[in-house]
Amino acid sequence: MQLLWQILINGVLLGGLYALMALGLVLVWGVLNIVNLAHGALIMLGAYACYYLFTGFGLDPFGALPVAMALLFCLGYLIQRCVLNLVIRAPMFNTLLITFGLEVVITFLAQMIFSADFRTVNPSYAGANFLWLGATVPLVRLLAFGVALGLTFALWLFLDHTALGRAIRATAQNLTAARLYGVNPRQLYALTFGIGAALAGAAGTLYGVVSQINPYIGSGLTGKSFAIAIIGGLDKSIYVLVGGLFLGIVEALTALYIGPTYTDVISFGILVVVLIVRPTGLLGRTA
Amino acid sequence: MKLASTLALSVVVVGVLATVPWWGSAVLVQFGINALILATLAQSWNIIGGYTGYPSFGNSVFYGLGGYGVAVGMVQFQLPFAAGLALGVFLAVLFAFLLGLPVLRLRGHYFAIATLGLAEVMTAIVSNLEIAGRNIGLILPLLKGDTLFFELSLALLVITTMTVAWISRSRFGFGLIAIRENEEAAAVMGVNTTLYKILGFALCSIFAAIAGGIHAYWITYLDPTSAFDITLNVKMIIMAVFGGPGTIFGPVLGAFVLSAISEVLATKVTSLAGIFFGLVIVAAIVFMPRGLADLVRRFRQQGWRYFQANIQAHRV
Repeated sequence: MQLLWQILINGVLLGGLYALMALGLVLVWGVLNIVNLAHGALIMLGAYACYYLFTGFGLDPFGALPVAMALLFCLGYLIQRCVLNLVIRAPMFNTLLITFGLEVVITFLAQMIFSADFRTVNPSYAGANFLWLGATVPLVRLLAFGVALGLTFALWLFLDHTALGRAIRATAQNLTAARLYGVNPRQLYALTFGIGAALAGAAGTLYGVVSQINPYIGSGLTGKSFAIAIIGGLDKSIYVLVGGLFLGIVEALTALYIGPTYTDVISFGILVVVLIVRPTGLLGRTA
Repeated sequence: MKLASTLALSVVVVGVLATVPWWGSAVLVQFGINALILATLAQSWNIIGGYTGYPSFGNSVFYGLGGYGVAVGMVQFQLPFAAGLALGVFLAVLFAFLLGLPVLRLRGHYFAIATLGLAEVMTAIVSNLEIAGRNIGLILPLLKGDTLFFELSLALLVITTMTVAWISRSRFGFGLIAIRENEEAAAVMGVNTTLYKILGFALCSIFAAIAGGIHAYWITYLDPTSAFDITLNVKMIIMAVFGGPGTIFGPVLGAFVLSAISEVLATKVTSLAGIFFGLVIVAAIVFMPRGLADLVRRFRQQGWRYFQANIQAHRV
């Protein structure tokens, strides 16, 4: 029972980070109808931004987070403005392939610049933890969990309660109508992809704090983000949180009761089953 | 007339290719085997992706099952190579039927992601199977004979391409194309869409599985990550799309051109080859989204305006 409680705590803390990873993917998917296969590569860049800000400038990882987000926002804005806007009305399959091309370019550039070595971000409080109701809670993971929840909430506030957020949601629903109300789609698409990339940057910063990083982590993280997006559904950003927590807990339980090598079978198995049984996600509207 | 000249040219090209092992260097023959296998994979993907319009990211599962059929058959049961191939093809077709039924109900993004998920699940399952050597893999008996493997791969590519040529002018193929263009309309016209899609999926699984079996026996080693490699799946898609999906010779042309380019680059700087591969994908989707086959046809009429027209058509 004690062990189960600890596993649940671990799963929930991991799930918060998972949700943040998928949040940018879901935003871009929902608004631009682009399934961004380069999303994991952007998370990887966020992790490296954190690493270099920490080792180079001595910036605390949580202080580096806004900087990494700003950097990734600029990169995302440029990618959408210069490349993806040129193909956005092409068949969905072409946009899927082009983001794969971007993923390849980013990964190999990262390998050339950062080298393939494993890196870790080790702030002084990295090993700190405390006991809560008999379970050990690592401080870093709790902080990461808190930031992930905060950013998810902030995105929801932004999309629901600001003019720009409403413009983004309006464009997702009906591009022509949004245009008639004065929305400039080139600009708006670039801003949306930029925000998606910034969220990936934030997720990467937190990932760098809790785990080892190298240039090849991207594609695996894209896969996980997919699973979370599909499990939660694409309707509301809040649902991503459910998908993330669900996957985090299921993975932790699988590792305990079935074996750590089976976590991928279970998470991708759930992905496939959910797609077949409820393609709109566990919480999504039935079509 | 046009058909006759195309046929004659194909026979000459295949005839010349078949002589390569007798005058080419060892490096050229090995490059040739890889290129022929990739071309076969791109061509088999063409059936489900190009003609039927279902962008499968799970064809590497067929390739992996074909490889494991040969490896498990030869190593664990001491079967001959041909029997191993038959086992691999059986496994792949079984997979196509059992999982095609639920997965082919999905469309667009959802189909692509579900097949991607299936590929991940297969990797994980096989790396936990005792009979398949878990995640360490299996070592196959050594057969030195690049000439044999070259001719086998060439024959497989020819048969696959002939099948695609048959599809493009048969009632079955028209059914697949109708599904690609408008699935509801196809159903209304009396096409049994479920049956056609599953048959298309199973057909491409056969060729991908044989390609996987030949490759496994050739390199004499197989492990789950390389057998079910997602990158391989993306490669076959890129090659088919680069050449021209839904055409008979486009995927083969795309596979040869891209293999040659990355081979030349890989001998110079490996990481540059990777970056180049990514840039080619990005540039190809932006400037020639319908592939080389369409470029060759339209460039003569339109000149450089062809590229501009492609961007104009798809930008926001």
